[in-house]
Amino acid sequence: MRWIRSVLPPVLVGVFVLAAWELTVTLGRIAPFILPAPSAIWRELVAQRTNVWEAALASGANALIGLIGGTVLAILAALAASRFRPLSEVSVPFAAVLNALPIIALAPILNNMFESTSSVPRRLVTAIIVFFPVFLNTLRGLREVDPVHRELMTSYAASGWTFARTVRLPGALPFVFTGLRQASSLAVIAAVVAEYFGGLQTGLGSRITSAAAFTAYPRAWAFVVGACLLGLVFYLTTLIVERLAMPWKSRLIT
Amino acid sequence: MSAVVIEGVSKVFNAGRADEVTALSEVDLTVGAGEFVSLIGPSGCGKSTLLRLIADLIPPTRGSVTVAGKPAAQARNDQEYGIAFQQSGLFEWRTVLRNVELPLELRGVSRTERRSRAAEMLALVGLAEFGGHYPAQLSGGMQQRVAIARALAVHPPLLLMDEPFGALDEMTRERLQGELLQICATTGTSTVFVTHSISEAVFLSNRVVVMSARPGRITASVDVDLPERDDAARQSPRYFDAITAVRRELRGGGVPAAS
Repeated sequence: MRWIRSVLPPVLVGVFVLAAWELTVTLGRIAPFILPAPSAIWRELVAQRTNVWEAALASGANALIGLIGGTVLAILAALAASRFRPLSEVSVPFAAVLNALPIIALAPILNNMFESTSSVPRRLVTAIIVFFPVFLNTLRGLREVDPVHRELMTSYAASGWTFARTVRLPGALPFVFTGLRQASSLAVIAAVVAEYFGGLQTGLGSRITSAAAFTAYPRAWAFVVGACLLGLVFYLTTLIVERLAMPWKSRLIT
Repeated sequence: MSAVVIEGVSKVFNAGRADEVTALSEVDLTVGAGEFVSLIGPSGCGKSTLLRLIADLIPPTRGSVTVAGKPAAQARNDQEYGIAFQQSGLFEWRTVLRNVELPLELRGVSRTERRSRAAEMLALVGLAEFGGHYPAQLSGGMQQRVAIARALAVHPPLLLMDEPFGALDEMTRERLQGELLQICATTGTSTVFVTHSISEAVFLSNRVVVMSARPGRITASVDVDLPERDDAARQSPRYFDAITAVRRELRGGGVPAAS
């Protein structure tokens, strides 16, 4: 019953928006290059389903590799920064600069550094974008230690490393996942948008640009829908992993 | 051998700064083996500070602290004491059993042995069947019992407690007081217990040490001699006499306690 009550409203709103969109386009005779009808996008999505699927796999692989790489680096960096005070004072502004940098603008430059058939530049762009939210959240979590836990571990004469492993890291997990939830969607966006700047033509981003270049707007939209679904898959997977990693949290989103 | 010997201990926080505070001044205290001693006094009298000095969580400014015949720092390294605070301080990501295991784990006790020792401790506090639960699934009183089981897991000769029942309701509190006494009697553990409840201090202790604030120091020591410590003892004249004596000392000696 509660499940229905939480699922029904967004579904109803979604159906209503789609219907309104369809009616506006058909009754208002809006040109398809401005806004195609949902039904047209759906027809393209069905017709192109193998292409969308393969492009999503290609982009998804880049996003996943970038996400994992960026996350591992961010957690290691946060561990180091929380361990050595001077390092954290230097690293936070540095990370902020990295974040302020329009990373997407780096994509064409990175593309030139590698062969044209290489996927490395996209993965690098994704990893850099993922790094910031995971790093900052993890660092905050590592620093927030319950004073009672601190005193207890002192009473056990626990070493710095034992303290990090048994108290700091597990205590920081909720923060790590807060960062990961942001990062998982960002990773897909970064991987798709990085494809707009040339290189391999296998992913969703390059399919969107080429479809648009051929004025096949419903087809471009079909790939956009694919990118949207891919982002959702990443987000939901993160939520599931979060739940598995922290069985002591009974609720999914706290 | 005495469980704790404190000689001429003073503790000054923020020494040499504008906000310098003398938390403790010239404190001497001896806790005998198997003795249950309560520290009582108004807020800011330094009773928690004194407990932390015994635990070597903070160093004294002057004087010496000896625990189980060793300097406090070495006693801490040898896990000669178990400690429990007002907040249970359980690790929410560990099951109840794994929480109790933690001090054993850090001591390098083998997995099978620490499993059985932790299970034994949980049985002692009456939570044998809750080992697989997470702390968040337990009530406040049960969490506090787990904290006590954890403090006792390494079989320390000394138990340090900082208002461990302070956040509990009166009924749970009285039940846990009874259980604590039983545990201390079975294990022969010496205990230093910080509280600001007079009745709690009297019911639990062989001796109630009264402290006063600014600067924190010990002003009196009241021996409590109750033949039995059960619910009937809470109604006995000796119990009320001891409460009156402690209250009088808390009011600054001499002055008779209000009835």
